[in-house]
Amino acid sequence: MAEIFDRLIIRILLAAFVCIMIYLYRYAHVIFYPTVKRQVLKKINPAENPADTLHLFSRLVGISIIFSSITFNESSGVVLSLFHFGVWGSIAIVLYLVSLFIIESIVFYNFDYTDEILKRKNMSYAIISFCHAIVIAYLTRTIMMEAENSLIILLVLWLYMLVIVGFSVKYYTFISKLTFNRLLIQKNMSLCFSYGGFSLGAGFIIASCFDQEHYDITVYCIQVLLKTVLSLIIFPLFKKGLVKIFPIRMGEDRGLSGQIETEMQSIGYGFYEGSLFISGAILTTMIVNRIQFGTIYPFF
Amino acid sequence: MYKIFLYTILMISYLGLSKALSPSEHGVQYLQNARAFSKLIKGTQSTVILIDTHATGFLIKTYYQKYRVISGYENVEELIVRTSKEFAKKNMANMGLSLYRKSDTDEEFLPLPPGSLYLGNSEFGEWKTRKNGKTYWKFNKVFKNFPKYLGWGKFRPDMDFFQQMRSFISLHQTYYGPNNEFGPQGKITRENFPQFFREERMKKQNIRTLMIEYFKENF
Repeated sequence: MAEIFDRLIIRILLAAFVCIMIYLYRYAHVIFYPTVKRQVLKKINPAENPADTLHLFSRLVGISIIFSSITFNESSGVVLSLFHFGVWGSIAIVLYLVSLFIIESIVFYNFDYTDEILKRKNMSYAIISFCHAIVIAYLTRTIMMEAENSLIILLVLWLYMLVIVGFSVKYYTFISKLTFNRLLIQKNMSLCFSYGGFSLGAGFIIASCFDQEHYDITVYCIQVLLKTVLSLIIFPLFKKGLVKIFPIRMGEDRGLSGQIETEMQSIGYGFYEGSLFISGAILTTMIVNRIQFGTIYPFF
Repeated sequence: MYKIFLYTILMISYLGLSKALSPSEHGVQYLQNARAFSKLIKGTQSTVILIDTHATGFLIKTYYQKYRVISGYENVEELIVRTSKEFAKKNMANMGLSLYRKSDTDEEFLPLPPGSLYLGNSEFGEWKTRKNGKTYWKFNKVFKNFPKYLGWGKFRPDMDFFQQMRSFISLHQTYYGPNNEFGPQGKITRENFPQFFREERMKKQNIRTLMIEYFKENF
């Protein structure tokens, strides 16, 4: 009984420590978004600006996803476990926020957070930012698990991941019919669902490329690169195939010219494209990762 | 058009990168034909015996062969190579035979029973006449394990075997022994290289058998 009670106390203690780390994160968030200092450090009113609420709390979801990858090893002592969590949690917070800052600087290079979220309350911007937060968190979690407590490997993989994600976000303009910058200014919801589906799909693919056994960092990086290029080959096949299987009717089919643009901007089209991207990406991960070709050695 | 061009470039890049960087591409050497043995086999008084063959792939097959390399003065080695389709198909009928022999002065590429290189070479053994009057080959004590390595089992070549083999060599014809003891149909080869002739590998399965086995394994 005493032992069980002791373990319960340890769990409560660790939960409290995680809360402290999240509290630290709240302040770290201000470093990258100094304009929100007033909102973040005071009580938040979710009803006042839903876009800002979504933007801020998407980061909370993200950091929770990353924290879930850190393990406590109580057998090495509670203090050491807490220290380990503190160190790796702090590294995770820094990497996560820097990653988000870089990726959002690439995607929203024409936009400003203060204008879009605080002044214009652009929900489309907030939802895209939410998807970025989730995807980057998921990827940071994957590389933290792959790094296996090695800081050097973590940094190498993090830089590698950033390069791949940086290229992947630019891929959207190739495969979507929606014009990103114009529709984002118009606060178009179709864009956010389409882009959201795309970024989540890309996240699935990149995470699956990183998720493999590794003994040598060079060979591992080569395998990740090969899998990424292979995914780029397979994904368009699924995208084309799904479009052929589920053909859609646009304005021109009904003889109403000029309606295509309007219908593409409807939320339904956003759902359609987003779903295609996610399902295509999940199926791509299956083709890239789940086919076992075996070796010749059972025979030889 | 631009997208097709980009997609083609992507596929070429993938194939090129895989070929250049993939670890599985390293370590297994390629053998175009029997002539390529010259570069592969370094030691002298060597004989290369085909002991297994395997093909992988669905539409485009990759062929592998496994050899036992016996050198007169070095350790016995096993060697796996990737081969051309023609070479692999041609040598399906030469399982258990020596495909290449390298003496101090010469090279031979005609498939012959294993050990033919050493017969008549006094460095390795001598012809001994038994009580029944027949003359058999006997390896010197240093090479006493050679019959095992060569996959002879209890078989010992006699002078008739040797003479017959020489006449086949002069006609440039593959020799499988006086009663076809060697080769995929030969009793000696089947007994001494059992891995290739394992029942499950020889069995040709139809779709019905495969489906029954699948359901037995999975449900």
